[in-house]
Amino acid sequence: MRHRLILRNITQTFEDGGMHRTVLDHLNLQVAEGELVAVMGPSGSGKSTFLSIAGALLEPTGGDVLLDGESIIGKEKQELADMRLHKLGFIFQSANLIPYLKVEEQLLLIAKLGGMDNSRASGRARGLLHKLGLSQRLSAYPEKLSGGERQRVAIGRALMMDPAVLLADEPTASLDASRGMDVVQMLACEAREMGKCVVMVTHDERVLTLCDRVLYLKNGRLTENG
Amino acid sequence: MYLAIREMRFAKVRYSLIAAIMLLVAFLVLFVSGLAKGLAYDNAASIQNRQATHFIMEKDSNARFTRSLVGEQVSERASTIVGEENVQPLGVKMTTVTAEGTAAKLDVTVLAVRPEGWLMPAVTEGAVIDSQSEGQAIVDDKLKDSGVGLGTVIVDQASGLKWEVAGFVSDESFSHSPAVFISGRDWQQLQASAAVRPGGVEEAEAGSNSTNYNAIAVKGDTDQARQLAAALPDAEVVTKTAAVSAIPGYKEEQGSLLMMIVFLFVISAVVLMVFFYVITIQKSSQLGILKAIGTRTVYLAKSVTLQVLFLSAGSLMISVLLVQAVEALLPSGMPFRLPASTLALTCGSFIVMSLIGSLLSVWKVIRVDPLDAIGRSAL
Repeated sequence: MRHRLILRNITQTFEDGGMHRTVLDHLNLQVAEGELVAVMGPSGSGKSTFLSIAGALLEPTGGDVLLDGESIIGKEKQELADMRLHKLGFIFQSANLIPYLKVEEQLLLIAKLGGMDNSRASGRARGLLHKLGLSQRLSAYPEKLSGGERQRVAIGRALMMDPAVLLADEPTASLDASRGMDVVQMLACEAREMGKCVVMVTHDERVLTLCDRVLYLKNGRLTENG
Repeated sequence: MYLAIREMRFAKVRYSLIAAIMLLVAFLVLFVSGLAKGLAYDNAASIQNRQATHFIMEKDSNARFTRSLVGEQVSERASTIVGEENVQPLGVKMTTVTAEGTAAKLDVTVLAVRPEGWLMPAVTEGAVIDSQSEGQAIVDDKLKDSGVGLGTVIVDQASGLKWEVAGFVSDESFSHSPAVFISGRDWQQLQASAAVRPGGVEEAEAGSNSTNYNAIAVKGDTDQARQLAAALPDAEVVTKTAAVSAIPGYKEEQGSLLMMIVFLFVISAVVLMVFFYVITIQKSSQLGILKAIGTRTVYLAKSVTLQVLFLSAGSLMISVLLVQAVEALLPSGMPFRLPASTLALTCGSFIVMSLIGSLLSVWKVIRVDPLDAIGRSAL
């Protein structure tokens, strides 16, 4: 089984008012393709830091992150941006779509940034949006969409460049129970069908049944049991 | 490009409003520039249009034609340095004339030149005069509006001398008054008549057989000008530019208009800067998201710059059309002039100023941290 996301001995410390704070302490994680992993933990446990490091947004103080076998350590900002574009898909707490782009354009923008040619991009965007049940809303602006629809567009956007890893930051936080379940269902489905690994930071216990593994962030490490 | 255009499409009202402000400022910039250029031309055309590079004037005349008086001997000395063909005497006298048969007084500037020399402008209508002609003048065609035609006799109020209008020239004026070109002979009479008045210029009295002029126009390079200055200790050699700015009112007029133009440029830059800075701050979380999902900073910075360029170029284009429409509607007496070179320079400066205005936003875009996209409350 291939591991598309590997975090090895990740340590992250902060200087906080002269105090040394260790947020992540030799954290290890391997996620295989097709796997949906939920990460839980109380606020302040370092979930955001964990996600920022896994998402190539923050270089850890120590340790290594491998995305599809490629390390993020010692890379230029631009290279990191390109890695995020091609290897990662982000799904944020509240969809965070670009307000002035129509649904289809949200996905086409990513294709444009990634240098995908127009006809292929438009085919792929339509295919993804169809699968996510958004065919009727291609030319709607985000403000006209429901919370669930927005989150589905965000999933489509994250999948546009066919990334290795999907990172979701509390994707169900702004949704009601059934829509939340729908969204996580879709993520699990994507992971399995397309061989991606999905890491989801969440507070929402209802969706845990859909996950392959549930990990708890405690004392800067990930453990199997809360 | 993709983002820039779609954002403007989405927030039409917002961007139209700022475009409207830019349009008004750009229009004002162009209009004032045209006015400044027009006034400058109206004021100094008769000096500006001359082919001279330098003027030799009397010492302490502060480069003012009307204050200076130079004699033949200066002209001769100058000839030995730059060559006779590059030296021409110039008489300048601001006076008031009436066209015979009418009561209206007209302010004009009498310019005495050698009719065959290179100071004489090309006659556009009527006949040329020569150095033997007496009582004849070539006048600026603005005087046509005051009822002056070919053959009209104009009378100098102070001296009573009469000149018959032999021909017209166009766009010739000095200190906003139309030019009247006369030959050396008539100038001599004019000088003599001035000299008999009590308190007239002594020198004119003393050397009644040698004519005094106000300046000697010279064609030569800077080196020759230096030699002239050395050879003529009692005279000052001034460049054409200096002579033009010394025309009464010229510097003041141009200075205040230039200040307005500079302020308008600064205002346009500041307006754009504030507008785009506020918008950029407003969407900084959005920019963080875009960076987090892999958008390069360069792309976002380009996007802002492109929007600024688009707005300023767009409003500039419309205001150029507007200004041209207004120019066509302006009465012919209005000193307004917007040649292609001034237009291009003004438009170029406007674009540059707006780009400067966009710098603050670009800096802000660069500063946005993609980490902000992920809730950092956990830190």
